Amino acid sequence: MSRPETALAPDEDAYLSLSGLTKRFGGVQALAGAKLLVRKGEIHGLVGQNGAGKSTMIKILAGLVQADAGQIHIGGRDLADARPRDVEAAGIHFIHQERMLVPDFTVAEALFLGHEVRLGPFLARRRMQASAQALMQRYFGRVLPGNRLIAELSTGEQQIVQIVRALLQEPQVLVLDEPTAALVRAEIDHLFEALNRLRAGGMTVVYISHYLSEIEALCDRVTVLRNGQTVATVDPRHTSSREIASLMVARDLNEMFPARVASKGRPVLSARALGDGRNFQDVTFTLHAGEVLGLTGLQGSGAKELLRSLFGLDRITSGEVSIEDRPFRARSPREAAAQGVAFVPEDRRHQGAILEMSIAANMTLANLARFSWRGLLRPRLEREVATRMISELAIKAEGPDAVVASLSGGNQQKVVLAKWLTRAAPLYILDEPTLGVDVAAKIEIYELVQRLARDGAAILVLSNDLDELVGITHRILVMYRGRTASSIPAATTSPAALLDVILTGQSEIAHVVH
Amino acid sequence: MSSISSRLRPTAAALGGLGPSQPVTGLVWRSGSLIAIIFILALLAWRAPLLLSPGNIGLVLAQASIVGTLGFALTLVVAAGGRDLVKGGIDLSLAANLGLSAALYASLLTAGWGDLPALGLTLLAGLGVGLLNALAVTVIGILPLLATLATMSVCAGAELVLTENLTVPASSPFLDWLAGQGPLDFPVMAWALLVLAAILALLLHGTPLGLRLYGVGGNPAAARAAGLRVRFYLALSYVLAGLLAAVAAVLAVAFTSAATPGSDEMLLPLIVTTFLGTVFSSRLRPTIGGTLLSALFVGFLVNGFQLLAISSYWANGIQGFLILVVVATTRKLGPGARR
Repeated sequence: MSRPETALAPDEDAYLSLSGLTKRFGGVQALAGAKLLVRKGEIHGLVGQNGAGKSTMIKILAGLVQADAGQIHIGGRDLADARPRDVEAAGIHFIHQERMLVPDFTVAEALFLGHEVRLGPFLARRRMQASAQALMQRYFGRVLPGNRLIAELSTGEQQIVQIVRALLQEPQVLVLDEPTAALVRAEIDHLFEALNRLRAGGMTVVYISHYLSEIEALCDRVTVLRNGQTVATVDPRHTSSREIASLMVARDLNEMFPARVASKGRPVLSARALGDGRNFQDVTFTLHAGEVLGLTGLQGSGAKELLRSLFGLDRITSGEVSIEDRPFRARSPREAAAQGVAFVPEDRRHQGAILEMSIAANMTLANLARFSWRGLLRPRLEREVATRMISELAIKAEGPDAVVASLSGGNQQKVVLAKWLTRAAPLYILDEPTLGVDVAAKIEIYELVQRLARDGAAILVLSNDLDELVGITHRILVMYRGRTASSIPAATTSPAALLDVILTGQSEIAHVVH
Repeated sequence: MSSISSRLRPTAAALGGLGPSQPVTGLVWRSGSLIAIIFILALLAWRAPLLLSPGNIGLVLAQASIVGTLGFALTLVVAAGGRDLVKGGIDLSLAANLGLSAALYASLLTAGWGDLPALGLTLLAGLGVGLLNALAVTVIGILPLLATLATMSVCAGAELVLTENLTVPASSPFLDWLAGQGPLDFPVMAWALLVLAAILALLLHGTPLGLRLYGVGGNPAAARAAGLRVRFYLALSYVLAGLLAAVAAVLAVAFTSAATPGSDEMLLPLIVTTFLGTVFSSRLRPTIGGTLLSALFVGFLVNGFQLLAISSYWANGIQGFLILVVVATTRKLGPGARR
């Protein structure tokens, strides 16, 4: 594997410099001597997996988190131990990943909080509203009435408010943490235009993103973080995204999708003429032991509803389902679980894990019977299994007693998976298992799926990530307007062909295959 | 990786898309509550025609001035502390603070102090209690619910020490003026309530300070990121609330020409006043105007019951019920209630 170890720029070039940053959260080393050197007037990308330390680095720069060690300078000025207002005074402004907005404020109030436009001792509400509108128009080409409430805006619109809020202060350095995660295409284009315009005006930008295509399109230089350390700073014009990606994960991306299990066993789940009277009808399919079946479709195609009804979250009104030759009828997730279905929900924050509880306790919850003896919990066994799961799934945590809320998103997802692994279910239903997790966590989840299949489980995966569907499943069931449009063998299709079926409901490929 | 993400992008947008902003269900609920309130008032006015006579309106306003002022105090605290009933802003010590301040004021007057020094010292005492709350909440970091509960017993104890649980009669030229009739044949206390409401409304809704108080309460992290000193604004809300409790104490002494025991009975009405007031705000948050209107509503309700010779115990029950309804629904529907 080629690894361009481009030399870091000498310090005297840097306008903003962070060096030797070290930070521990409990037992987790978030940063271990990380370094970021940004030249004046450039757009500098910062990339790394979830948990690589990007967010910690940015929070330290913002003065929200205290570093254990390290130096921060801007234009020769020392910013170590600075408070948020000192950092702002130095001209560094942030757009954090979390929505830093007051939900029941109007757009104008949210934009000007802390820097209000005054008329004598009073708020100049009308002037704030007018300039809020003018700013939105100027930077994003859209009108957002200044008196709309933040809570009524879409996530993308809220993000725009945050960005405009920062621009209002005419910053020297603008730091954006995953700014496009919630934006739609047109909004992203506007953002890039705005950033290019700002760069032309001499502003320095630090841009953090998962999307390497964005980094490629926008950035002059990119710093790659891995495990709390700076791996390299490269020029994206000379270093391909693929190379940058391998710097991030330190493993070849061809290995991303593990080998699929070849054997196909007895039927585990068979559905005949399934319908819920509203969202889907006449769905028939069979899922075998050792098989990974993908499920996908546009919003409203019925794919999501089909999945939910198989776990007893929604009602099935017609047709028959059987699991291992026993008729299956679930009116609640509890009943579904009792009949051998393990479910990993998409909304893991609310449905998957109890964030305030420890990893061990969360894993145990799904299978109390195994971890208790005559009504008493068996903490030793609980910890043993949890410790094994942590190492098997490479969950980045202090130990089985670590609280789930303290883990990063990808690791939380792994805990949810582990929760269901403590019981051997014949059928696993995974709802968007890798949504919002980084590449490394994705790979581990993929390996886990294959391991379950190898152990003889049947697995149904709902996903909108087409590469993932093609990479990890045997067959893909495409839903279109409530019906199964096609059942496509994954080995013979491509993401592009799959997308075509999803969008049109026409499955020429499938016919070819037959 | 880049090919994955660049291809994924339009796909994700096509499959998922961004949902439109949520419909404002709060509006329906809110207008329903307003109609209910108007209906109740109309019913009372129909059964007891005396309710809306000018003299009675003045009386209700004067009566409402005490609980209304306390309600304003709590409005400030809830604005800056947030509406979460357990972790958010709440000041349980306000009624006890009123009791202590009133006892002090009446005792000072009885001891022969002049109007001005007695008034000054009383306001300082109220402010001191507020400062104690502020320290407990912002410096020590005790939950407001517990901190102000502790302060409440401190105040109640101090009041008993001062008065030995007896009524302390008080009179002075200032009290006589305050208890008398003002312009337009309206009680001075009614005017006091309206003027105080106007001043506080301007402060909370018209100045950067007010905006920042709401900002600190609405999302402390956002306020901190905006460079605001969150703890300062939080502390300020408790100190101002303490000061307002002392103002309410002066009004209470004027109303009864004495400091009377039993100020703790004011706690429930003042909480009702503030939280019911959120119904009058389009954003379902406590506002000075909303608190004023709900103080008047509760005032007319109690007064109407008196006119109809219905037991005042019923009024207590209804207030408790209102609290349940309002708190339950704002938790469900308020914009701040969403996660």
